[in-house]
Amino acid sequence: MIRFLSSLKLTIFLLSLIILLSVIGTLIPQGEDPGFYQTYLPRWSGIILSLQLDHLYRSSLFLSVAFFFLLNILFCSLRQLPVKLKQLRGEIKFIPPGVQSVAVRKLASSFSDWFEASPDSLLAELRQRHYQIKIKKSGEKKTLLAQKERPGLFGPEIVHLAIMIIIVGGLISALFSQRIELALTEGQTADLPGKNFSFRLDRFTIDYYPDGSIKSWKSLVSILEQGQVKKQKIIEVNHPLKYDGLNFFQMSYGFDWDRTKVELEIISGNSAVRQLTLKVGEKVQLDSSLTLSLLNFIPDFTLDPGGRPTSRSAEANNPAVLVLVSREGAPVYQGWLFYYHPESNQIQQQPGSELAISLKKFEAPLFSGLEAASDPGLNLVWLGCALLFLGLLACFYLNYRQMVIGLRPGEKPVFSAHSRHNQTTFYQELERLLEVRPDSAINSDRKNEGKTK
Amino acid sequence: MNEFPLLLISFIIYILVMLSGFASFFGFKAKWSRISYTLAIAGFVVQSAGLLVRTIVSGHAPFTNMYESINFLSWSCVLVIIIFQRKFRLEKAWPYLWLLIVALMALVSSPLLPKNVTPLVPALQSYWLWLHVSVTLLGEAFLAVAFVASILYLAAGRSSAGNSEAQKKQENYDLIAYRAVAAGFPLFTLGALVFGMIWASRAWGRYWSWDPKEVWSLITWLFYALYLHTRLVMGWKGKRSALIAIIGFLAALFTFFGVNYLLSGLHSYV
Repeated sequence: MIRFLSSLKLTIFLLSLIILLSVIGTLIPQGEDPGFYQTYLPRWSGIILSLQLDHLYRSSLFLSVAFFFLLNILFCSLRQLPVKLKQLRGEIKFIPPGVQSVAVRKLASSFSDWFEASPDSLLAELRQRHYQIKIKKSGEKKTLLAQKERPGLFGPEIVHLAIMIIIVGGLISALFSQRIELALTEGQTADLPGKNFSFRLDRFTIDYYPDGSIKSWKSLVSILEQGQVKKQKIIEVNHPLKYDGLNFFQMSYGFDWDRTKVELEIISGNSAVRQLTLKVGEKVQLDSSLTLSLLNFIPDFTLDPGGRPTSRSAEANNPAVLVLVSREGAPVYQGWLFYYHPESNQIQQQPGSELAISLKKFEAPLFSGLEAASDPGLNLVWLGCALLFLGLLACFYLNYRQMVIGLRPGEKPVFSAHSRHNQTTFYQELERLLEVRPDSAINSDRKNEGKTK
Repeated sequence: MNEFPLLLISFIIYILVMLSGFASFFGFKAKWSRISYTLAIAGFVVQSAGLLVRTIVSGHAPFTNMYESINFLSWSCVLVIIIFQRKFRLEKAWPYLWLLIVALMALVSSPLLPKNVTPLVPALQSYWLWLHVSVTLLGEAFLAVAFVASILYLAAGRSSAGNSEAQKKQENYDLIAYRAVAAGFPLFTLGALVFGMIWASRAWGRYWSWDPKEVWSLITWLFYALYLHTRLVMGWKGKRSALIAIIGFLAALFTFFGVNYLLSGLHSYV
């Protein structure tokens, strides 16, 4: 089982599966209502809904694949790590391909001769080339272990650890992060659940470029503790405020249409013109018997499929108000008034109407859309990201090299030279190193050759 | 002042680089190669000046819309090709790589892409724009080199059987592709994923939103992870490796173009 979980075949299978599922997730619209899929993808809606492909990246299918991927990486690392630690201690001899070749045999005899005849000069040369050196002596046996760029040996393990940390951090974020959406108009204060401070929007401004597009939205905010201003800062996109474990982001802005103030023009039968300013929900006495109530305001009037008035967007594209006129408490007229299409105003169209009412102005307070977020997985994710990049650098740009020379009188020397990347280049590097061999070590070459043969 | 004339000049120079590169196949190899390389450096200098002018005129990073981004991608590719030529000798791959540059520059100078300077929306006003986009595109430039080298590997496959000279050349393509991925993969990881996550966390309040652009860069990343694992651990080389590198780059292209035009999401401003 562990063999299977740590196998590379499983890795390849899981990587392919994650790719496939991710592609599907970008093809199927995510996070819509079940009805959406039944309407637009009737043939697929059964599969989509039963496999939770409508929220694929949180589906049990995707999460279990991610879980197996995590296990796969974990077991693979656990299997590799002891092997690599042994390599690092020189306990495992690499037998690189081509070990039998003449060139390598020559390297082996030259280096073991050098080590035997003049160990100090060999060590000095290796140290100068940034090799770390360990010498072990047990009885008559003497072993040299020279290593360079040791983190390169663990590059893949660092990357794998980083990915595990990122996945765990991501899970923590998904499970425990908290987000509070705040829509505040100037002067409004929001209390934050579980926190002993409140958050006030002091000023909200929008700056425009000369061509009319938006340059920035800025919220000047105050953090209040027991009525005291503890901190004041301008929050804008890309410049969040951090306070007491919460990050405050500028997310959006808009108009608080529920608090719209409108101006109506009323022309009664005797052609007296009156201007009225009132808010949604307010009621005004027009004369001794008539009252007018403002029931509703819709910024972008349209009718939904059921014929009910609704707003197409939050933009003031087709503003309309619903007014009700009553005489002594009994409704007389009720109808929509349109800002851009007064010809469609329903009040005038009613037969016997003695009043002409039209919508002249509307004004809603601007709100700033902010988000307060706490994400306990964040620091783990950043740690994982840093390790990921360092690990990749170690994988590709640190070339772990190891040379082992073992000597025991009367026996053939043990020699191995190994590098993680480009074995041939490493042999060439060692051959160049031989050029600086002192004469004494070269002379002993011939003597030894005579001895071993 | 306008960068477009400089861009056209560099485009013409790059065409000459490619032509002189191909000319070296037919004779006077050393001479044509030297001319081609010198022209490449000249073209690169002119295009760099164009980027500088664009940056000064627009007042922001020269990669905030399609026109600017593809121009920057082709500049990065030129830089990578020159680096590879100096360090590893591209041999026969050289003119084919310039074919890619010429294709990119044709797209850049075509009227398909609006070239006007538009002011930056609030979300893009951050130094992370510089870091995220430039490192990502530089990484993708390396991956583009791997893509061309892999295609050349597959194309050479038919003719190299039994011919040791041709086989050696073909293996060189495989090595170029691997070296390009070895440089491009860490850069792509840093620029697209890590810097992207940091910026998203500052601008949008969440480091990962499963936005189509994010998912597709993850898909691209996974393809190259597949490439490296099959190659380094399973010992795949040559044909199968080349296929994965090609598909990986197609995923990168889809992340760059396809997501913008076909899928909507948070990254819809570029």
